[in-house]
Amino acid sequence: MSDDHWFDRRSFLKHGGAAGASVATVALAGCSGDGGDGDDGNNTDGENGGGVGNGVDEEENWQDLDEPSNRAGYLQRANLAAHQEAPWIFLNRQYSNYGKRTSLDWEPRSDELIWAYTMAPEGSSVTVTQGKMDTGLDPHNHRETPTDNIVTQAYDRLLMRTSDGSIEAALAEDWERIEPGHVRFHIREGVTFHNGDELQPSDVAFSINRVVDPEVSLESPQNDQLAGVTGAEVADEGNAVDVFSDGINPVIFSLFASYCNIVQQDWIESRNSEEINRNMNGTGAFQLSNYEASVEVSFEAYEDHWRGAPDFDSLVFRAAGEDSTRVNQLVQGETDIIVNVPPQQVSSVQDASGAEMAPVPSTRIIYNGMRYDVEPFDDPLFRRAMNYAIDLETIVQDTLQSFADQTAQPTLEGFVGYNEDLDPYPYDPERANQLIEKSQYDEADLVLHTPVGRYLNDLEIAQATAGYIDDLDNVSAEVNQVEFGELAGKLTDGDIETSPDWYLIGWGNAVFDASQTLIPLLTSDGALTSWKNDEFDQLVNEAQGLPGSQ
Amino acid sequence: MSLGRFLVRRTLQGLLVVWGVITVVFVLRFLSPGDPVTFVAPLDASPELRQRIAADLGLNKPMHVQYADYLAGLLQGDMGYSYQRGLPANDIVLSRVPATVELAVASSIVAIVLSIPLGVVAATRRHSPADYGATLFSLVGISTPNFWLGIMLVLFLSVQLDLFPTSQRPVGFLEAWTHLIRFKLAGPSLSVPLDAGAFADDMGTWLWHITLPAVTLGTYFTALITRLTRSGMLDELGKEYVTAARAKGLPETLVRYRHALRNTLIPILTVLGLQLGTLIGGAVITEAVFAWPGLGSLLIDAINSRDWPIIQAALIVIGVSFVVINVAVDVVYGYLNPQVGYE
Repeated sequence: MSDDHWFDRRSFLKHGGAAGASVATVALAGCSGDGGDGDDGNNTDGENGGGVGNGVDEEENWQDLDEPSNRAGYLQRANLAAHQEAPWIFLNRQYSNYGKRTSLDWEPRSDELIWAYTMAPEGSSVTVTQGKMDTGLDPHNHRETPTDNIVTQAYDRLLMRTSDGSIEAALAEDWERIEPGHVRFHIREGVTFHNGDELQPSDVAFSINRVVDPEVSLESPQNDQLAGVTGAEVADEGNAVDVFSDGINPVIFSLFASYCNIVQQDWIESRNSEEINRNMNGTGAFQLSNYEASVEVSFEAYEDHWRGAPDFDSLVFRAAGEDSTRVNQLVQGETDIIVNVPPQQVSSVQDASGAEMAPVPSTRIIYNGMRYDVEPFDDPLFRRAMNYAIDLETIVQDTLQSFADQTAQPTLEGFVGYNEDLDPYPYDPERANQLIEKSQYDEADLVLHTPVGRYLNDLEIAQATAGYIDDLDNVSAEVNQVEFGELAGKLTDGDIETSPDWYLIGWGNAVFDASQTLIPLLTSDGALTSWKNDEFDQLVNEAQGLPGSQ
Repeated sequence: MSLGRFLVRRTLQGLLVVWGVITVVFVLRFLSPGDPVTFVAPLDASPELRQRIAADLGLNKPMHVQYADYLAGLLQGDMGYSYQRGLPANDIVLSRVPATVELAVASSIVAIVLSIPLGVVAATRRHSPADYGATLFSLVGISTPNFWLGIMLVLFLSVQLDLFPTSQRPVGFLEAWTHLIRFKLAGPSLSVPLDAGAFADDMGTWLWHITLPAVTLGTYFTALITRLTRSGMLDELGKEYVTAARAKGLPETLVRYRHALRNTLIPILTVLGLQLGTLIGGAVITEAVFAWPGLGSLLIDAINSRDWPIIQAALIVIGVSFVVINVAVDVVYGYLNPQVGYE
C-alpha cells in the first residue's frame, strides 16, 4: 500500500485543477499493505486532517478516482477514504455471543434483536436471560438493546428484518417512495391489538409522530433514530400512512425496519407514563402476562397474531449481570438463551451437555478514535502507523478467541456502502516505525482511554493495542481506564476539545447502512466525530442526496 | 431515662442522620463526573435533544432549586422518578427491599446458628481439636472472598452435584406466606382456600434458592462471630464471678450458658446489628453472583447509569435501616445489660 504519495498527488491535483482528477482511472485496489518506503516525507494538509504521501505507487488515492455512479458507490468511496486517511485504528466487529440449549431451535440475528416468534422449543416455554432488564415498557422511551428485546415481542414495527438484515413486510404490507422526502406505507388489514381493538393507520401515524415530535406526548430518546423524519399522517383514504422527511432520506425504509414500534393511540393517550411503563398493548406475537420491574417480564402467546400464533405458550425474560451466573444457568438448564458469553467462558458452554454456543456477527464496531486536531494524530502518516503497528489478527484470535472479525473500514460487511476491496491493515511494525520517522512526530507518549466492561473484553483489547504500539521505536503507549459515562460525556458534549486524544469506543449501527456510521462518527459535524475532512464530508453528502436501493 | 424518651431521642437523632445522608448524596451528585443525560440520551443525540431531556428530568434547574424540590417531594413521600426506568423511585427501591432483607436475615441466621455454638465449644475446650478446628474455620472464613466462595459453591453444589439452583429468586418469603395469610384473613368459611400445598411448595422453592446465597454471605459473618464468641467466652470464663459461681456449686452448664455466654453476647449483639445494616446495603457481590434481585445490585446499576433518584432512594432506605437496627440494638443492649440502661 502506498502511504504518503497521496498527498503529492492531491497537491498536484489541487494545483493542476479538475483535469488532473479526470485522468485518474485506476480502479479501487485492495490495501494489502506492502509497498514502498517512500521518499517524500511530506504529509499532512493540516486543517483537514487528511492527505498522506509516500512516493512508491501501487494504489490509487481515494481523491483521484472517478466520480461514483450511485449512492452505494459514494459510500464505498467514503469508506476507502477513511481507510486511507486512517482517522481510527480499525479494530474489530464485535460478535453477539449467545449461548442456548440445544433443544431450542433458534437462529440468532445480526441486528441483536432476540425475536422469540421464530423460536421453536421442545417444550411450551422459553426463558431468556439477558445482562440487564428493561428500563420500562414504553417502546418509545428507551435506547437499549435489552429493553428493545422485551418490548418488540409485544409491539410490532411497520417493517421488520430477516435474520441476515434484509427488510421484510410487517404491519406495512407494502411501501413506496412517492417523491423525495415523501414515502407511503400501506397498512395491513385485520391486525388487532392485545386488547382486541383493530389496528388503524392513525395508530401508525401517531406512533411515528410520538417518536419524532416532542409535542406528541413524549420527549422520545429515539427521536434521532428516525433521522430526518418530520412527521406522518393518514393517507390513501385511510388505508395508508404517509411519512415526510426533510430531504430525500435514502435510508428511510431501513430506519423503519429497525425502529419505531407501533402503539395504539387511544391506549397511550388514556394512560400516564408510569402506566405505559408497566403495561403493554401492542400487536406483537406475545402479550404481557406479568411484569416485575427490573426483575422479570413474562409473556403469553397472542393467539390472534396476524402472522399466526407462536409455536409456544410462554416467554420469560430475566437478567443476570454476572457472566458466570448466566453461563451456569444455561449449563444447568435453568434458562434457554443467554447473552454475552465472554470468550473465556465459551468452553464451559461447549462442554456442557444440552448447551451450545450461537455466535453471530453483530452490528457493532470497536475502534480507536484519534483526534485529528492534536499532535501527533493530526498527521495521517502517524495515524496509519498506528494501524500498521497492531497485530489485529492476533488480538482477534487471542483476546477475543475469534469471536470477532477484523475490520478495515468503518462500515461492516453486509451493509449498504461496504467496500469489498479493502483488507485490514497488516501487522508491519517495521513499516509503522518508518512512517513515524517520516511523520512530523518521530517520538510520542500516548495514552489510550478505554471504558471497562462496556464492550466484550474492551480493556484487554485496549491493553493489547497499546502494548503493540508501545513496542514501536520512540513511541510509548499506556492504557487509562475511564468510566464509560465520563468518556461518553466528553465525546458527546459537542466540543471535540474535551474528547481524549485517543480512545476506544464502540458503535452499533442497526440500520445496515454505512451512512449511519460515517455521519455521526466521521463527518465534521458528527455527534461523536474525531475527524474533519471536507472532501470526505462532500462524499457523504452526495450519498445522502441520492435515493437508496430499497 | 425511660425507654419512651430514649426512643424519641434516638429517632430524632436518626432523622438527622438520614437528612445528612440525603444532603451529602445530593451534593455528591453535582460533584461526581458523568452527566445523567449521557446515560439517557443516545450517543449520537443532538445537543438540542440533550437539552430537552435535561429539561424533562429537571436537571437544568439551579442546584438549590433541585434540592428544595427534592426535599419537598420527600416530605410528601415522593422520591422522584427513575431517569432510566421512568417509574417512581419509591416503587423500584421498595420492591427490592424484601429480597435484601431476606438475604440479610437468612445469612445472619446461618451465622448465629453456626458461630455461637462453635465459639462456645472452642472456648470451653481450649487447645482441643475442636478449638483448633473452629479457629481454622474462622480464619478461612474471614479470609475467603465472597465472590470466590459463591462461584465455588455454585460450581460444586449446583453444577456438579445438582443439589441447588445456580441463581435467581423465583418466589419471595412473604409471597409464600400469602397462601396462609389470605386464608386467615378471609376465614376458613370464606372463598379463599387454605392452600397449604402451595405454601409448602413456595417455601421449599424459596429455601432451595436462598441457601447458597445465605451461606455465601453468612460465611464471613459466621467466622467473625465465632472468633468473637470464643474470645469473649474465654474472657468471661476467667472472671471472678464465674469462679464464685463455680465455688457455689452451680452446674457448669449454667455457669457457661446462663452467665458467661449472656455477658459475651453483649458485644456480639453490637457487631450483629452493625453487620446486619452492612448486609442490607452491601450484599452487592453475593446478589450479583446469584442474580438475587436486591437493593445492592440495584444501587450498583443505578450508580453505573447515574440514575440519581434511585441512588438517593436506595441510600435513604439503607440509612433508615441502619438507624432502625442500631436503635433496636441499643434497646436490646439495655435489656441485656441493665447497668447501661437507656442513657
